[in-house]
Amino acid sequence: MGEMDAAEFDDVVDDWFIESLKTYKDLHVYQLEHPTRVIEWTSGKTVCVAGYRSAKNELLELLLPLKLLAEENKGLCAERDFKVVHGGFAEGPVHCLRHIPGTRCAVTNDGRSSGLQVWDLGGDDSDVIRRTASVAGRSASGRGSRIAAGLSSDPRVLHGAESSDVLLTDLTSGQSVYKLKSDAADPLSSLQFVSDSVFLACCCSGNIYTVDTRASDAPRPSPPPATGGGDGVLWCADASPSSAGGAGRVARLSSSGEAVLSDLRDLGGAVSRARLDVLIDHHNWDDVKVSWAPALDDCIAASGFSGTVQIYDTSAWAAEPAAARPLFEHRGHVVSSQRADSLPVLVTSHVWHPERPRTLLSAAADGSVHVWDWVDQSAAAC
Amino acid sequence: MPEIKVTPLGAGQDVGRSCILVSIGGKNIMLDCGMHMGYNDDRRFPDFSYITQNGRLTEFLDCVIISHFHLDHCGALPYMSEMVGYDGPIYMTHPTKAICPILLEDFRKITVDKKGETNFFTSQMIKDCMKKVIPLNLHQTVQVDDELEIKAYYAGHVLGAAMVHIKVGSESVVYTGDYNMTPDRHLGAAWIDKCRPDILISESTYATTIRDSKRCRERDFLKKVHETIERGGKVLIPVFALGRAQELCILLETFWERMNLKAPIYFSTGLTEKANHYYKLFITWTNQKIRKTFVQRNMFEFKHIKAFDRSYADNPGPMVVFATPGMLHAGQSLQIFKKWAGNEKNMVIMPGYCVQGTIGHKILNGQRKLEMEGRATLDVKLQVEYMSFSAHADAKGIMQLIRMAEPRNMLLVHGEAAKMEFLKGKIEQEFNINCYMPANGETETVTTNPSVPVDISLNLLKREMALGGPLPDTKKPRTMHGTLIMKENSLRLVSPEQALKELGLNEHQLRFTCRVQLQDPHSDSDTLHRIYTHLKSVLKGYTIQHLPDSTVMVESIVIKLSSSAEDPNTKVLLLSWSYQVIDLSYSQLLLNIRKKLTCSR
Repeated sequence: MGEMDAAEFDDVVDDWFIESLKTYKDLHVYQLEHPTRVIEWTSGKTVCVAGYRSAKNELLELLLPLKLLAEENKGLCAERDFKVVHGGFAEGPVHCLRHIPGTRCAVTNDGRSSGLQVWDLGGDDSDVIRRTASVAGRSASGRGSRIAAGLSSDPRVLHGAESSDVLLTDLTSGQSVYKLKSDAADPLSSLQFVSDSVFLACCCSGNIYTVDTRASDAPRPSPPPATGGGDGVLWCADASPSSAGGAGRVARLSSSGEAVLSDLRDLGGAVSRARLDVLIDHHNWDDVKVSWAPALDDCIAASGFSGTVQIYDTSAWAAEPAAARPLFEHRGHVVSSQRADSLPVLVTSHVWHPERPRTLLSAAADGSVHVWDWVDQSAAAC
Repeated sequence: MPEIKVTPLGAGQDVGRSCILVSIGGKNIMLDCGMHMGYNDDRRFPDFSYITQNGRLTEFLDCVIISHFHLDHCGALPYMSEMVGYDGPIYMTHPTKAICPILLEDFRKITVDKKGETNFFTSQMIKDCMKKVIPLNLHQTVQVDDELEIKAYYAGHVLGAAMVHIKVGSESVVYTGDYNMTPDRHLGAAWIDKCRPDILISESTYATTIRDSKRCRERDFLKKVHETIERGGKVLIPVFALGRAQELCILLETFWERMNLKAPIYFSTGLTEKANHYYKLFITWTNQKIRKTFVQRNMFEFKHIKAFDRSYADNPGPMVVFATPGMLHAGQSLQIFKKWAGNEKNMVIMPGYCVQGTIGHKILNGQRKLEMEGRATLDVKLQVEYMSFSAHADAKGIMQLIRMAEPRNMLLVHGEAAKMEFLKGKIEQEFNINCYMPANGETETVTTNPSVPVDISLNLLKREMALGGPLPDTKKPRTMHGTLIMKENSLRLVSPEQALKELGLNEHQLRFTCRVQLQDPHSDSDTLHRIYTHLKSVLKGYTIQHLPDSTVMVESIVIKLSSSAEDPNTKVLLLSWSYQVIDLSYSQLLLNIRKKLTCSR
């Protein structure tokens, strides 16, 4: 970069940064050595990230900066950095990483085979993350497996690449305790437990299987409600935790930017829909993600279409799809991208903080990881 | 075995002061001499008993090197040199030499005058200590003595901070001190060439953090200042010296311009006097790549920042003031603080570490009621913000530095080995080098593999090559013979004849003889002939000759026969050989001949 470019670059950052004084309560920007596609909470204060290069990669467990977490006397805390509390090495890329709640155990998949690697994240006496076991998958499709952590007290992991090979494996015994009966080999976009024994297998086709592991008959998939998008549209989905007074909801997001909200008990129907304000590029499907805010009613976050993360307030959505404007858009990755070429940087992952209503973490393909607490500038409380 | 020993002084897991001893090539060097800011008693000083139980350190140390002016790196220097006793050279860069004594004096005043401590160094001791300082320039090799040389490299971090390269013979060590790998607004990034030291010594604290960006820190600063100004409050920023203060000024100036803000910003007079002096130092030091705007800008030609007058502190309305000293322990910044502390709309932003005993330290620890002189109490109602702007490397930075310097071994100090296994593994795997982590007070011995360069004379080389056999191969060393001459700092390998000639010595020839007695009725010449034929048949592959002067020669071993005068049947064989280089084959041959001769009749 010549002198002129450096100055221009600074100007762009300056404008956005100055705007950020009003639009963010907290903002932290980090640069990892290698980009991650996974951000997974391993406790209220720590997250795990991991690289996805083709050969050796690092897994890192990071402690969030004390300044962010401090409730009282925040001003007296100067500590703004991530602390690497545990680290380990993976032999291949890490495309999916799940923490098993109540344990120091994490499970990963490399995105090119169905098997899983099981890791011990380490305790106080050592800072090394060690691989302890492997779990075989059923699929020979060459697709990576999706993973979900079981919600029961026994450490269990749900995994599969397609709807025909979903397994629930007990980590203590290594045995599979449930197999999803399905003949359709529908590629999966995600797996998620909604209760101790009920999980959703969300397919890229938009079909969602609601599976009760106690039932004996094969579950039937619910297709997505008809939308304007044509063939070749891919879907991802996320289920919200059950709110007081009602069952949870499921948000589906298509590669054409359509969002559909359904009631968990009626996944074939749509409660409301919208067309999101995103750039459509069918080449970048892998990292598209939609997630419900755990502590903010009716809000969802969407990322992966571009270098931004968008927050939408779905309470205003209606049954008929209309163009929706985001409540907030995090443009940090685009603005501070350090790429030499002018290709846009894609956001690879985002997560909400489990308790703080407006705090998120996001990662992008240039290795950046941001932690941000945005300000709701709209008149209506959210 | 050639080895380098590194000992971080201190005890247990203590982090908080730097003082590292290195023994290399027979030289002892002390790297930094910091004070531990958390202790009030002797534990704040490094424990020099490792060097010697009592008495002065002068004869045990070849030199002391200080990396930069922060107190946890130089705070114990006057104690070490004047109270424990050291008269040898102390090396540091020019800016460090200029700024160190000021910080030390401030520190001394606070500790002795304010806290009433004894067993501390005096002002005179600081002066006497600084007289022993020899200043360093960047990239300039300094001969400490005939064998020890040092060189300073740019470290970033603060004005004058250096990384230091230490060399004795063909062994070397690089100590990083504190450094950063991303450029700041007024400091560049650390830089070192591919010097391939035997050991690179660095702090482990960096290696396990990932730094938040500089712009986010600045954002937080601007946000806090702006919020305070918007509500009509006043912002006090106590600063020490040039560098950080100027950086924050430029930041505010740009922000004020962009946002079209009207509130006044002031720069206190005490600061401007000091700043001019440092500014000159700064210019000569920073011949690194620094932003043009910063260096070219005249110190005080800001549009929005004016010189402060103390009457302004009572003016109503919002304002921002930069004032010295940095820890609120005296002077103008303390005066202003006292006036503004009672109003909760106001704010004080502490941009750095504050020593124990200062107001700064107390308010950063959450104290909201302060005891002032005359037993008056001050209620602290204003907002207190602690912001760290110091530039440090992080996990990525340490890998970058290792890539730059290409050390043969890595050594990290001030970390717990159990908590650093991942990092150790990472460094070892990525660079294929050993990573050591000695605990404080422990000595790590690193074996080095110094290459010793030797010049070989062309004649000798040609001769050895002419002896035939395979060409020299690094995987199959071949024994060769020569004389090694070590003169001054050079090593030469020459032929023995040339060595004798150069040294003016005569060569002596040694000849060995041994007697073998045997009984044989034949005549002398017959017996000799029989010996000849016998040897020829059993010692195949050797040159055996029966010469006309009645000797038998096996290679170059001469065999003569004579008989005893009294008894003609008692034959005496004399085996004689000259002192060749003891070649295995010759001694085998000798043994063989003797055996055969005594065996066969």
